[in-house]
Amino acid sequence: MGEVILTMKEIDKSFPGVHALDHVNFEVKKGEVHALMGENGAGKSTLMKVLTGIYKKDSGTITFEGKEVEFHNTREAQDAGVVIVHQELNMLGHLTVAQNIFIGREFKKGLSIDDKKMNEEAAKLFKKLHIDIDPTETMSNLTVGKQQMCEIAKAISHEAKVIIFDEPSAALTETEIEELFKIIKDLRKQQLGIVYISHRMDEIKVITDRVTVMRDGTYVGTLITNECTKDDIINMMVGRVIYEDPKEHSMVKSDAPVVLKVEHLNAGRMVQDVSFELRKGEILGFSGLMGAGRTETARAIFGADPKESGDIYINGKKVIINSPEDAVKCGIGYLSEDRKRFGIVVQKTVAENSTMAALEKYMKGLFIDKKAEKQVSEEYVKSLATKTPSVDQLVVNLSGGNQQKVVIAKWLVRNCDILIFDEPTRGIDVGAKNEIYKLMNKLAEEGKSIIMISSEMTEILRMSDRIVIMCEGKKTGEVGIEEASQEAIMNMATREIG
Amino acid sequence: MEKIKQNPIVKKLGFNRIVLFGVLLLMYLLFCILSDNFAGLPRILSTLNYAYFLGFLALGVTFVIATGGIDFSIGPVMFCAALVSGYCLNSYGVPMVLSLIISVLVGALFGTFNGYLVAYWSVPPFIVSMASMNIAKGVASVFTKTQSVSWPQGVSEQGWFRKFVKVGNFPVGLLIFLAFAIICSIILNKTKAGRYILSLGSNKEAVRLSGVNIKKWEMLAYVICGTLVGIAAIFYVAAYTTVQPGYGDTYNNEAIAGCVMGGTSMAGGLASIGGTVIGVFIIALLQEGILALHFTKDYQLIITGLIVIVAVYADVVARRKKN
Repeated sequence: MGEVILTMKEIDKSFPGVHALDHVNFEVKKGEVHALMGENGAGKSTLMKVLTGIYKKDSGTITFEGKEVEFHNTREAQDAGVVIVHQELNMLGHLTVAQNIFIGREFKKGLSIDDKKMNEEAAKLFKKLHIDIDPTETMSNLTVGKQQMCEIAKAISHEAKVIIFDEPSAALTETEIEELFKIIKDLRKQQLGIVYISHRMDEIKVITDRVTVMRDGTYVGTLITNECTKDDIINMMVGRVIYEDPKEHSMVKSDAPVVLKVEHLNAGRMVQDVSFELRKGEILGFSGLMGAGRTETARAIFGADPKESGDIYINGKKVIINSPEDAVKCGIGYLSEDRKRFGIVVQKTVAENSTMAALEKYMKGLFIDKKAEKQVSEEYVKSLATKTPSVDQLVVNLSGGNQQKVVIAKWLVRNCDILIFDEPTRGIDVGAKNEIYKLMNKLAEEGKSIIMISSEMTEILRMSDRIVIMCEGKKTGEVGIEEASQEAIMNMATREIG
Repeated sequence: MEKIKQNPIVKKLGFNRIVLFGVLLLMYLLFCILSDNFAGLPRILSTLNYAYFLGFLALGVTFVIATGGIDFSIGPVMFCAALVSGYCLNSYGVPMVLSLIISVLVGALFGTFNGYLVAYWSVPPFIVSMASMNIAKGVASVFTKTQSVSWPQGVSEQGWFRKFVKVGNFPVGLLIFLAFAIICSIILNKTKAGRYILSLGSNKEAVRLSGVNIKKWEMLAYVICGTLVGIAAIFYVAAYTTVQPGYGDTYNNEAIAGCVMGGTSMAGGLASIGGTVIGVFIIALLQEGILALHFTKDYQLIITGLIVIVAVYADVVARRKKN
């Protein structure tokens, strides 16, 4: 680690009704990877937005390379050498890699764009980063991981001195993450300052030098990564102790009946001949890497996407599911991994979202019984501890974790016996995560059966009674929790299928 | 200002709608000042005549816009309904009651056609309604052999249908229109149909994944729209007697302008019947005022065009602020 390149001191920022940043301190040194951690809403993104000029700070100072600076927009920040690599990729799929990297500042030859020069420059960049990507390739043909590499190359091409990675690994496979880490280490060697925002504790230990933790818009502290444990960081984040112990043995009664049986399900390349059983009161974990076909399997079962073949039995009876409507009638509820797109209706209230799947139960003749609707949604706000001023609040105003609880409430109001939870805790902070775990356990105890798709190994081991492992659209294994180990699961999740 | 907005009565009525109503009153005052003979009952009745049919069009299109769709066929379909039913009345001797029913059915049929294509075949609403606008014009021309149709005068035996609009100087039409507006508001806010129509306008996929048959409800919005367009045709002929084939497009813009001005979002998911009603009165008043000031109808086209753009832009800005 070298000298300090960037210092943020006593940064203060308020939005109407929220004190988003309360005199926060943060610094980055040359040649270090500095993790910025905290629950959702802790203020990490706000702090970075203040840094890159998206938000204007109320008070405090930013010193960059010894001079006090204030960027008014990302362009100014970029020009100075502070670049952010966003979680969502901002790439144009139909353009080539090189065209994307130099977008907005294309090399010109007379009036026309000099594609040849751009390709050469891009190739030079990739060489510098030891990345193997063809600059002339069309962007949409690349995997998400490779696209991210391009995003990094683009950042470097701005002659960045400080690069901010905002949850870069969220959409990457294990191998892609490894590649990403190689690049980050390389950048560190080149004496760049790197800010790394992530929720994944394991990564923090591997890649970062220091960790700064934020909580509720305040600065909690900075630790040297090597000298602290995972629990230290988590405790700083939440201010309370969290246990992440694996489940010891299955909680399912030995004589529990099979409630859902899926046989030889096929739906495109991502779902090939998948069969499994789900028993009453069981939490069945679906493990695998990104793109293993777990979500596709769930969506095919739920009727959200068409299936080619395969049989589904519920309580021993064969059922035909061609649409989510059919699935819901069969007592299946599906909690999507992308709750903004598939879970909630943001312009509707908590109450209206809660009864979305079971409105016919809350009708009085032709009209919606708003009193009953309000009552039931209040009940679930209470039992799920959803934080909302009232059930008349628009869902758009709730935080991620609370939105997730509204989606869960929707299926509980419907009284579904089979619940598919697809990445139920993605993008949710640690505290709310725990509440959702507790809730899932309670539901299982009450006799509901749950399929839990999760990419987090700790979550799989902590919650599941049994684990199905998928890889490239095929089921590659199934283990009871008693004999499950991280290594064994990872082995099956990456197994080559002959 | 914030305090006024938080007042329970203001909240119930909607701050924006109160402002819009104020605009309506101001406009009326302005026209009274600018034009010598504007004040008084005749102008009000004439404005109302225009507001009725336009109002039914706007109520209808509010449902479609609430789903995030659009319907550019409402004006021509209204003319088609009036022409087909009027031709049946005049040339085939169909009784008046039946003719009026035919008018509503023609509207409903077009609504069903549009709705089916949009909901079940996923053809973009823009394309569907543009196409059915031309179909409506063509059907009307073919059916009437390209001749205009005149409906019976009030004094004739069959003229009783004009009582829908007014009896003496009493504006019955206003009562009927407001009654329909209230029914629409109830449908939109208190029934399953309205809940699903608004919800799918906001996030179609989330509603589908809640196990709701979204196709059915999306189509229903177009059917409701078409039915109201058929009713609009009755009020049009009751006020203006003669219909010519090949026209009607200008009313699309006016109805949509009334609707979006009232706070219904072009992006779907948000709709206000009360706002639509006030918006329609503003457009109708504008039309009356422009004629009273001896401008041509062209100016009204320009102004309503601008109103649509401004209202939609205001919605875009409001959304951006929220995010």
